[in-house]
Amino acid sequence: MLRRSLQLALGRDVLGRGLGTHRGGSTLDWNGKMSEIKKKIQSVLPGGAWTQLHDTSYLPPEHSDVVIVGGGVMGLSVAYWLKRLERPRGAIRVLVVERDHTYSQASTVLSVGGIRQQFSVPENIQLSLFSIDFLRNINVRAKTSGGWGGDQSFSPERGAAQLARGIREQKQEGAKVCLMSPEQLRNKFPWINPEGVALASYGMEHEGWFDPWSLLQGLRRKVQSMGVLFCQGEVTRFVSSSSHAETPSGEEVTLKRVHEVHVKIDHSLEYQPVECAIVINAAGAWSGQIAELAGVGKGPPGTLQGTKLPVEPRKRYVYLWNCPQGPGLETPFVIDASGAYFRREGLGNNYLGGCSPTEEEEPDPENLEVDHEFFQDKVWPPLAQRVPAFESLKVRSAWAGYYDYNTFDQNGVVGPHPLVVNMYFATGFSGHGLQQAPAVGRAVAEMVLHGNFQTINLSPFLFNRFHLGEKVHEHNII
Amino acid sequence: MLKIIIPTMMLIPLTWLSKPNMIWINMTAHSMLISLISLTYLNQLTDNNLNFSLLFFADSLSAPLLALTTWLLPLMIMASQHHLSKETLMRKKLYITMLIMLQLFLIMTFAATELIMFYILFEATLMPTLIIITRWGNQTERLNAGLYFLFYTLVGSLPLLVALVWIQNNLGTLNLLIIQYWAQPLLNSWSNALLWLACMMAFMVKMPLYGLHLWLPKAHVEAPIAGSMVLAAVLLKLGGYGMMRITTLLNPLTNHMAYPFMMLSLWGMIMTSSICLRQTDLKSLIAYSSVSHMALVIMAVLIQSPWSYMGATALMIAHGLTSSMLFCLANSNYERIHSRTMILARGLQTLLPLMAAWWLLASLTNLALPPTINLVGELFVVMASFSWSNITIILMGINITITAIYSLYMLITTQRGKYTHHIKSIKPSFTRENSLMALHLLPLLLLSLNPKIILGPIY
Repeated sequence: MLRRSLQLALGRDVLGRGLGTHRGGSTLDWNGKMSEIKKKIQSVLPGGAWTQLHDTSYLPPEHSDVVIVGGGVMGLSVAYWLKRLERPRGAIRVLVVERDHTYSQASTVLSVGGIRQQFSVPENIQLSLFSIDFLRNINVRAKTSGGWGGDQSFSPERGAAQLARGIREQKQEGAKVCLMSPEQLRNKFPWINPEGVALASYGMEHEGWFDPWSLLQGLRRKVQSMGVLFCQGEVTRFVSSSSHAETPSGEEVTLKRVHEVHVKIDHSLEYQPVECAIVINAAGAWSGQIAELAGVGKGPPGTLQGTKLPVEPRKRYVYLWNCPQGPGLETPFVIDASGAYFRREGLGNNYLGGCSPTEEEEPDPENLEVDHEFFQDKVWPPLAQRVPAFESLKVRSAWAGYYDYNTFDQNGVVGPHPLVVNMYFATGFSGHGLQQAPAVGRAVAEMVLHGNFQTINLSPFLFNRFHLGEKVHEHNII
Repeated sequence: MLKIIIPTMMLIPLTWLSKPNMIWINMTAHSMLISLISLTYLNQLTDNNLNFSLLFFADSLSAPLLALTTWLLPLMIMASQHHLSKETLMRKKLYITMLIMLQLFLIMTFAATELIMFYILFEATLMPTLIIITRWGNQTERLNAGLYFLFYTLVGSLPLLVALVWIQNNLGTLNLLIIQYWAQPLLNSWSNALLWLACMMAFMVKMPLYGLHLWLPKAHVEAPIAGSMVLAAVLLKLGGYGMMRITTLLNPLTNHMAYPFMMLSLWGMIMTSSICLRQTDLKSLIAYSSVSHMALVIMAVLIQSPWSYMGATALMIAHGLTSSMLFCLANSNYERIHSRTMILARGLQTLLPLMAAWWLLASLTNLALPPTINLVGELFVVMASFSWSNITIILMGINITITAIYSLYMLITTQRGKYTHHIKSIKPSFTRENSLMALHLLPLLLLSLNPKIILGPIY
């Protein structure tokens, strides 16, 4: 008993095993401990990443000068131009908050990717012209693969006058378009059936399509290299302060100023309040919800306070089909008067196309499931009529994407809100946002940095028009 | 001296026992009264000093600094009102208590007779400042800022403790009044050089000297407004004051030990002024401008001539008021648009004309416009350094030019030009803010009429 108690006192247990007496290795493991200690010392010394708190690198910073809600092509374009136009360099801190980094539902990547100048509103033409110039010149950052085949749009007899007027405006802005009669059409594109077509407008230059995913990735990389911070999260709240002001006519308005954005991290209740000076709403199809969070539209209807942002998600289908006898490589992006459109995709006789449904047939934007009946009923017949070769085709795949549809006049909303003074919009483009994104980004950046539009005057697209009822009548909306 | 120390101590129970709606009024009013009492110390009748007791005294060097410290407390409290309005009552009271404790330690530091007491209170001022910066600062970086601030100052001042104890053992006393007469010449030897370094480094870090200034932009930018004000206006002057007191013990070694530090100051003032030209963050610009102005004070104290001492004292007071005022102006911008970037708040002159007037005056005093005391201080220092070595005038001249450039750059960027859209609807200036600026500017302008009270003991 004495021996046992002696053994225990000396730190060995009853069976005679003590510390460090294992055969084949010490339990103390000096090597591992030393490297751990060295690592710890290195991280504590200046330059190391150790802080006394937990690692919060997944959270957005506590302060950012500009918060861009939405990381699609519009938001990234605004970020790019903010960083490009700021004087001096590095002055503004920009944060892009994107809810879904896989962009699975973003309108940008689900878009067909066409770009055209054939609009009727001069500002739209200018926007597209600048965008194509931008795309042409960032040759490394946005690989513009695909055709530069021009854009062809048709009109039946009654729309011919409109088309002609539109052409004049486009030519005035510098777009290279020309009108073609049915005979010229048949000569140039033998695969077209020009029955019922009075006039066609053909964009000879600066039109076509490009890969939106490449543009997105290129912009993303460029913007990150310019110092813009990205964060994955959802904006759940705006903390704002209000003050009262009196208009010149004597009525009292409440001006709001957003000074904090709460960004909620995915799959968690954790949120980070980001103190900000300016908020840019580039949330695409969900801009309406973001605007409501900021208090846009809270008031009696009919007043400026009660005017909501009329942007809602609308589902649009895109179908990819294969037609071996279809038109060849010189096929432009064709837009029929009925609203159906298609373009060539790749070199294997594949074509992408679709059609916008009428108001009554609007699909439910709850999810992005494709309705194949829609193709059979609404897309195929007009296409087959226009291009006889499409009578026999095989649909390879289809997807659906959202338009950030502006229910008021289907044109974009750009610029500040009159009452929420530091919220700027860059949304609501209803299907032609991708092609105008670079120019819109520059316009918003100019508005933020200089206080007015300097290159392209987008004042017809300001928020005020919803309250004043001034629609921007754009005829060529697909 | 007790007539301001006891009331300052009693401000703490006043904070805790005040009714919630009377806190700000009580604190501002009572601290203003205390500052008015301390103004009486400026009346220095003799060449000597006012001796209050064995512990405290006030001579023409410490009296202006005392007056500055006590004048600043009501201003700090006024400036903090807005950003504390959203805090709970307990936090508000704690914040004010921290400010009062800081004030208390600062008063005792400037009035201390014994150098060890000075040292203890010098270190004690770090604690409330650290708490203010790390708890009430604005960003996550404030923890880093607090760390830098604390450790730079501590590491610099621990050798000072050793040096002071050694001097006490050697000389027999550390009483400031006695060592003026009892100081032995410090001859050139390695251990004496180390002693010199140990004595001076604490104050060099505090000033800050150019190579040791990393903590300052961080601490200033991350601190809340009262923290920035007290840091810029008073805590930096602790370094200057300490240096001026301790150099009496360090002659004639200073003549050659001071060279590297003078070079660093001369080079540093140009470097930091140039950095100001490239700053986009308003607070950061003002912080670097502080470093630049303090480099002049370091130069002056190390030259050790009568003119330079006068210039150093004048510059300390002038810079304290100017820098604090600039921080208040930057804060008024920040509270409105929640961003410190200069280019996001432009064209304010058309929107807030009175505030533009304060901005103009603050920028003009920052670039040492005659006849303000800023110019008096700078001019004295430039002339003294010219007589020490002719070449320094080139560097000083470049510094003055660049100071003018960045002050005007700051003024023009924030005030002139076309305002941006989101600025149009900022809240107009509060009376509190206007009175804050006026109270900063009033002493500054009045002192230009009678600068001799701040010219220090040599005058």
